[in-house]
Amino acid sequence: MNDKKIKKINFLYLIGYIVFPILICTLCYLLSAVYFPKGTMAVILIMVPTLLSILWWILGGSIIYKINKKKFERELEESGFERNHTFYGKGSTVTIDVKRGEIGLLFFWNPFEKFVIHASRISKAWVNDGKSGHGFMEGSMRVSFLFIVDDIKVRVDTFTSNQRFRMDSDYILTGISKADMMVEIINQARVSAHKNEK
Amino acid sequence: MSIISKIKSVFHDDWCKNCHCEMEVTKKQLYMLPELVGNYISHQNKEYYKNNLIKVNKKSDIPTGYYACGITNYWCSKCSYKITKLTIFLPVRNEEKIEEIIVFKNGELDDFLK
Repeated sequence: MNDKKIKKINFLYLIGYIVFPILICTLCYLLSAVYFPKGTMAVILIMVPTLLSILWWILGGSIIYKINKKKFERELEESGFERNHTFYGKGSTVTIDVKRGEIGLLFFWNPFEKFVIHASRISKAWVNDGKSGHGFMEGSMRVSFLFIVDDIKVRVDTFTSNQRFRMDSDYILTGISKADMMVEIINQARVSAHKNEK
Repeated sequence: MSIISKIKSVFHDDWCKNCHCEMEVTKKQLYMLPELVGNYISHQNKEYYKNNLIKVNKKSDIPTGYYACGITNYWCSKCSYKITKLTIFLPVRNEEKIEEIIVFKNGELDDFLK
C-alpha cells in the first residue's frame, strides 16, 4: 500500500505520447527532404513513420494500459490483496478489497504508477446518472460513479454514449446498477478501513 | 371461442394454450439470482435454478447489482394445464430491467417450489 497522493495524469507520459511520434515524423521528413528528395527511400521515410505514428496514437495507449493492468492485478494478488470487485472503466481501473479496506487504482494516462490506497482516504462516493433535459427529452449520455481521494475527484464511467438515452432504457439502468454497486462496495471498504484503524 | 382470445393466448404466457383463456395465479415468489450486473448468463436448465435461487421476501433484500427472479405458477381451471414462469430482472432503484422470461411447461420446478 502506498500513501502517496494519487495522480490521474502523468503529463510527461501524455505529452510524450502525443509529441514523440511527431518528432520522429518531423525528423524523417527532414531527412527525406535533405538527403532523399525522390525515390523509394523518400517514400519509406514519409510513409512508414506517418503510419506508425497513427497506429501508435490509436493502439499504443490501450496496449500499454492493458499490459500494466495485468501486471497490477498480478502484483495485487501476490501481495494478498483480495479483489472482491474490480471495475474496468475506460480511463481507469478500480479494484476493491472490502475486508482490508483497500482500493487499487490504475489510470489510463498514468499507467506506470499503481496506487493502493486506504479506503479511509475517500471522503465521499456517489453516483452521477447524468440526467438532463425535461419531459420527453429527459435522458442521459453518461452514467458514472465518483469518489474523492485526498481532495482529488475520480470519475469512473459505467456507461457512455454519443446519443442520449431515456432514463428507463436498459443501457442507463445497467449503468446505474453498476455505479450503485460500486459506490456501495466503496462505502463498505471505507467502513472496514475505519474499523481496521481502530 | 373468439379469435381475439386465440390470438391473446399466443402472445401471453399466462393464457392457456389449450382453452385460450386467462390462467389463475397459484403461487408467486421472489428469489435472488447470484449473478452480477454485466455478467448475466442465460440458463435454460432447471437444475441451475434449483441450485442457485435464494428465497427473499422483498426486492430490497437483494443486494445492489444482483439479479432477481420472480417465479409465478399459473393454472388453468378448465383443463388443469400448468406452467411456471420465471421473470429474471435487474432491480435498479425503482425500476426493473427485465433480462429474460423463461417458461417451464412440464412442472420442472414443482418439487423446488413446494
